[in-house]
Amino acid sequence: MDNLNTNRIGEVIDTSTTDFTAQSYQLYNTPALGALVKTGEGENTIYAAVYHATTSSIEPGRKPIARGQDAASEEDIYAQSPQLSKLLRSEFSCLILGYRGQGQICHWLPPRPAHIHSFTETCTPEETAEFSRSFGFLNILINSELPVPADEVTAACLRQLAAAAPDKQSFLVKAGKELARILPGQYQRLKVILERIQL
Amino acid sequence: MSLNLDKTALQIQSMVSDLKGRDLEHQKHLEAGLNGMKRTPAEYQHLLDKAERSQTTFLLAHPEEIPDATHPPPALPQSYRILATDGSQIDVDRHQLSRCYLINIGRVRLEYGQSPSAALESLPALYARPEDMVISCGSKEVAVEGTLLGIKRSVEETRHLAEMADAASPNLPTLALADGTLILWSLLSKEFPEYVVEDLLVNGYLKYLGKIQNLNTKDRQVALASYISYPGSTDVVNTLRLLYCPYEPADCTSQCDQLPNGKRPCDILSGVTDSMLFERILKPGERSALFASSSSILEKYYGEHRVYFYYLKTSEEIARVELPGWTARSEELLSLSHSLILEQCRLGHGYPVSLSEAHEQAVVSGQDRRIFNQLVEEMLTASKINPSSSAKSLSKKTRWV
Repeated sequence: MDNLNTNRIGEVIDTSTTDFTAQSYQLYNTPALGALVKTGEGENTIYAAVYHATTSSIEPGRKPIARGQDAASEEDIYAQSPQLSKLLRSEFSCLILGYRGQGQICHWLPPRPAHIHSFTETCTPEETAEFSRSFGFLNILINSELPVPADEVTAACLRQLAAAAPDKQSFLVKAGKELARILPGQYQRLKVILERIQL
Repeated sequence: MSLNLDKTALQIQSMVSDLKGRDLEHQKHLEAGLNGMKRTPAEYQHLLDKAERSQTTFLLAHPEEIPDATHPPPALPQSYRILATDGSQIDVDRHQLSRCYLINIGRVRLEYGQSPSAALESLPALYARPEDMVISCGSKEVAVEGTLLGIKRSVEETRHLAEMADAASPNLPTLALADGTLILWSLLSKEFPEYVVEDLLVNGYLKYLGKIQNLNTKDRQVALASYISYPGSTDVVNTLRLLYCPYEPADCTSQCDQLPNGKRPCDILSGVTDSMLFERILKPGERSALFASSSSILEKYYGEHRVYFYYLKTSEEIARVELPGWTARSEELLSLSHSLILEQCRLGHGYPVSLSEAHEQAVVSGQDRRIFNQLVEEMLTASKINPSSSAKSLSKKTRWV
């Protein structure tokens, strides 16, 4: 049972057709920007890339205040106020890039959004490699309207996926070619992304 | 109709000028109080003897040592635990046919030192069974609502405190901290029948205090204290009144009954509270002498839990800390209460952080109350039980011109 849960990092608390937000089980334990995560089970598995993460007060009316002027370290602040870890929460938002339908991974939006309270897990390197065998998901990334520049999220996601690919160099070259195809005449955008995914 | 602010402002203005005039007189009273505190041990002994023999209409504090003694804060243990509870309630709504009430208890466990940790919980309990709605004895019964519900809430807060103390591992010195007084004054304020006092105080509140007391062994320390912020109490000042009383012994009812307030000899201390005195006597971090509280309810029921108190000067205020006898009379537990409460106030910027978190967990907002009532109505309707509310309740919810 423990093995099943090792990748479980959070739970969906806000959901829509295009993205979902999960609350981390542990404070600050959010996946890296661009990391591939999944939620749901079996045929309802939804794959998504992390595009935004926050840590804030659990209650909107209670704002954190500075506490550390006389503390030796950040750790000291949490030791002096152990309740802080229960009063703050970390959340991460994920852009849906595809789902598993009839055994196959589809690089387009799923028919239905994720469920509130469905578990969010990080994808294993094998799963990440399987997801990124083709680049259909790049279209969603490039055209997304996010609070973070889409090109930054695209580059971060490609760096994360490349880390799980059997051959990083060839993965990134293929990704670059695909980007050039999706962004015809948008040399500046292409340049920005390519600069950020160089090995 | 909204408040007429023009008229109110004029009245506030007149209140302010009135207060200004009284300031000088107040200084005189305060100095008399401070002068009363500066007595020799022999004079104190005489005062205590007089207190024993006198019949006063006000509550006296019995000092356990020289009343103007001060104690610096003891060293903080390396690791320790604070347990705190606070509660709130949704009272029975007489205008609803569905009769029920809710008590919400906020529980906090904070551990400091080698392995810091925290647990914060909010535990609501709904009461609607016929036996929950009344306290009965044979054919007699009293409805649990209003004042009585408030007392029941205090009992529940203490039950949870005892439960947490019992569940916590014995390895850390522990302070169980309650909000407000340990004396259930409201049981005295209305004359409740004896079976109500038995049910809530003897078989409830005091039983749970006993459970916490019994956790103390050679290897385990559990102190119990309550914190009163901005206390208005005058127990110590009341005792000093006897210094200015010309009668030996004092008998307020027969000697001064005819005199209007302000004209009695001891009124040289009127308007002075204990905290005003200790504000001048204590340095930051210090606690006052220990005093035994006196009231008929304590003498009759509290036994080993008889309430003692001291005043504590935190960075922000003079607070009153109340302790049951078994905490007050143990040097270790008394010191633990002093050092830990002071540190809690430091961490909480003036108010014990565990109590403010327990309050945050317990609080039921106006919005929560509305949703609660709505849920009750909806669920009763769904079960085809008609929850129709009274016309008065409806008129309060619906306003029209």
